[in-house]
Amino acid sequence: MWLTLYYIFCYFVFCYSLMLMTSYITLVLMSRRAQKQLDVELPDDETIKYMLKGSPLTPAVSIIAPAFNEEVTIIDNVNSLLQIDYPDYEIIIVNDESTDRTMELLINEYSLVEVPYDIAMKVPSKPIKRVLKSTDEKYSKLIVVDKVHGGRKADGSNAGINVCSNKYFVCTDVDCIIEPMALYRMMWFVVNSHKPTIGVGATMLMSNGCVVENGRVVEAAVPGEALPMFQQLEYLRSFLIGKLGWSRINTLPNISGGFGLFDTDVAVKSGGYDPMSMAEDVDMLLRMVTYMRNNGLEYQVAQVPKVCCWTEGPSTLKSLSRQRTRWARGLFEIVSNHRKMFFNPHYGAIGALVLPYLFIFEFLAPFLEFIGFIFLIYFSFKGGINWSTSAIVFGMIYSFSFFMTSFVIFFDYGTKAVNWKHTKMSYLKLLLATLLEPFMYHPIITYCSNVGYWRFISNKTAIWAPIQRTGVKKK
Amino acid sequence: MIGYPRSRTVSEPYNIGKVAISSIRYYILLVVAYFKYILQYVFDKFVDYPWETKVAFLILVVCSTLIIIIWASLLVTSIREKRKHWLHHKMEQNYGKGMDYILSSEASELLSRAQIAHFFDLDVSVIGKSILNGKHEKAAFVDLFYTKFITQRSESSRMENIHKMLGMFEIPEFLEKEVSHGNMKRKVLALNKIRPFKLPLNTWVVNTLLNSRYLHVQRLAMYSTIMSSSDSSLEYFETDFFDKHCCIKDEIELAYSLQRRRKEGLKLPNLARWAHIQKNEKAQCMFVRLMRRFNEVEYCGQLTDLFGENKKKKLIEEIARTWGYLHYTECEDLLIEALLTQADDTKVAIMHAMTRLATGKSLDALLEGFANTTNPHVRYEALRCIYNYGAQGRKLFKKLESEATEADKKYFAFFNNPITLEKVRLDREQAYHPSVETVFNG
Repeated sequence: MWLTLYYIFCYFVFCYSLMLMTSYITLVLMSRRAQKQLDVELPDDETIKYMLKGSPLTPAVSIIAPAFNEEVTIIDNVNSLLQIDYPDYEIIIVNDESTDRTMELLINEYSLVEVPYDIAMKVPSKPIKRVLKSTDEKYSKLIVVDKVHGGRKADGSNAGINVCSNKYFVCTDVDCIIEPMALYRMMWFVVNSHKPTIGVGATMLMSNGCVVENGRVVEAAVPGEALPMFQQLEYLRSFLIGKLGWSRINTLPNISGGFGLFDTDVAVKSGGYDPMSMAEDVDMLLRMVTYMRNNGLEYQVAQVPKVCCWTEGPSTLKSLSRQRTRWARGLFEIVSNHRKMFFNPHYGAIGALVLPYLFIFEFLAPFLEFIGFIFLIYFSFKGGINWSTSAIVFGMIYSFSFFMTSFVIFFDYGTKAVNWKHTKMSYLKLLLATLLEPFMYHPIITYCSNVGYWRFISNKTAIWAPIQRTGVKKK
Repeated sequence: MIGYPRSRTVSEPYNIGKVAISSIRYYILLVVAYFKYILQYVFDKFVDYPWETKVAFLILVVCSTLIIIIWASLLVTSIREKRKHWLHHKMEQNYGKGMDYILSSEASELLSRAQIAHFFDLDVSVIGKSILNGKHEKAAFVDLFYTKFITQRSESSRMENIHKMLGMFEIPEFLEKEVSHGNMKRKVLALNKIRPFKLPLNTWVVNTLLNSRYLHVQRLAMYSTIMSSSDSSLEYFETDFFDKHCCIKDEIELAYSLQRRRKEGLKLPNLARWAHIQKNEKAQCMFVRLMRRFNEVEYCGQLTDLFGENKKKKLIEEIARTWGYLHYTECEDLLIEALLTQADDTKVAIMHAMTRLATGKSLDALLEGFANTTNPHVRYEALRCIYNYGAQGRKLFKKLESEATEADKKYFAFFNNPITLEKVRLDREQAYHPSVETVFNG
């Protein structure tokens, strides 16, 4: 009976793999098409700046960055945000009742004073205690919101949304490094779109290998450490193939919480971020899409690979496992909370195609891999494995994975899709990561995902622990 | 301008036996033959194996082949990149100084070809001959010059000199060729460059581009044509051109092009008429906003019937704003009437328009706007309008402040603090007023 079960499982997994590979190939083709379109529609930086800088029509943006106990980096990070090149933007730093000197440093550095402020609590967040602005004209863009501790980034982001006055807002982490041209490139899509743009996503990259000067990345390279290097590869594949591919058919299911631009009005009408969610970014975008669909409104969600945001990835096993467990839990939450959208053609391609893909190939995969691993160990000892066939199947998976990475490299180099240093060493590191990934990195991710699922099922209290950061190299 | 149409060079066909086929077909046949061979090999080699082994092996071979192709392409791309960089560097070394001079304020007088040649360290004998060899050198030259043009062009440099210089290097012909190329990316890149250089396009090329199946190309061609000095270019808007598609960029481009026409004293359109022709509300709003931007007071009266179209809320808001900015006082009765009937968002725009007119006639209507609503946003905006309504308004504001209830006091607090965000908002609104200088230079 066990053997029959094993054979059924083997055939199922084989067909599953073929389907997965087919969907990857489809995504590759779609992302290629999307990049071609971007090549045509996104002009060079000088042209974008030339057109948008002088125009009063360029939409204003609010940058929302929640901060909690960031005394070490807060001033550098705010200075970095103040350096962003864009004609009309405001920066909203939301202090989530830090217990260190974050607030004190901000007040002293930027000469902040409390100002009267008309705050309508449009989306749920803990009460706002005060709003501060600088008396110094050169910091007129800066608004600091001091609020009651919410414990989650989503709560802080919601407080920022309540304060923001512009049509668009960008949600980021206070420790993220954003390129100076980022807002221009994102906004180009908003002004160039014939449909209302409700969200624009950027490419997240690891800052672990970068050299930073005055809050700007001056040398972007692939991290030297193993874990961040694997994550870099994973991010590149996800942003250049997955997200870009889905954006081609306007079905992008997620805009990264690290750096994403949203339409304030639609975000508010959809209820903003869910402070209790572990995947608040996916959750909000799906609710925004639901709102637009339910009201029969046209919309567009775009992904711009050329807009890069550098964030420090977990470099220790402990922090990585904590992050991935949380993500897995978040995915389970999404599947559970938005189940009515899955396989539902009312929500267009996102309901009929993307969310089923997410369910079958992202949600079920760690579970299947775990069962496969148990079967492998059991039948290795029992002698039920045809090793020559296994070797060929393994070769198939390995060569496919190598092909995907080669494609990403070719894609990135040929189109300069991502705005970073395109050196031979970077690409060699990525190739090395590809060769080692199935043995060193993937098992960890699978394990963490299963732990995350288990925690969701067993209803264990979720803890939002910050990633232990070591800081980036400074010039 | 040069003559069209041109014949495109077709590569020599391959001869396979008696059949002559094109190069692409030849390579397709090669690939098909290769996979046929692999397929045969797999079925011969793995004849006793189950189907999944055969499929797995086939995928393995296909992936390996694709990897080889990708890496070979990567090598070719890297060589191309290096050549491009080298050419760019060469152009900077040879002609960078000359370009800088042409774009600087020193070149404010009309220069002869010989003088231009001198600044580019060229011999006079080269005038009329090909200076740049091949399309790659020309592309590198245009790229470099375009970057310099956008970033460092002085206001006093002369467009005639730039045209003359580009003509010497055969750039207009090159760009025209690029524009008619089949590759969309090359087409768009060339169009993006033609526009700021204001190069005249051949009618044949314009017509082809305007009928392109790509909306992006159509629009770029349209704006390039408007940018040129031709009066007939305005005819493109005499039809319902925008249909369903209209975005902010269209407005930016139009504003930019019309600003240039205005600067050069060329014929300008009746924007109110264009607003009537368009069916798309977005496009109508765009033309009304442009009226405001270009201070077209004389056409304000033509907007009265559009203001009466109660269905188009955004359009009503824009018209109200435009009337306010352009001080079209004859509309005041219409505004007072509309304040009673319109939705809250529209009311705010109307109230601001009344404040801009500030004739004294509408102050009571503003007070009613403040008193007769529970919407905090409308109340706040009404108060702001009263505050900004000149001496009469300020007096009324003081009176209201002294009588304010506890709940209303927070509204008044804003006006007594100079560093609230309101200041920023007001500045931004001011930015669209025609009196404000913009960076639309050139």
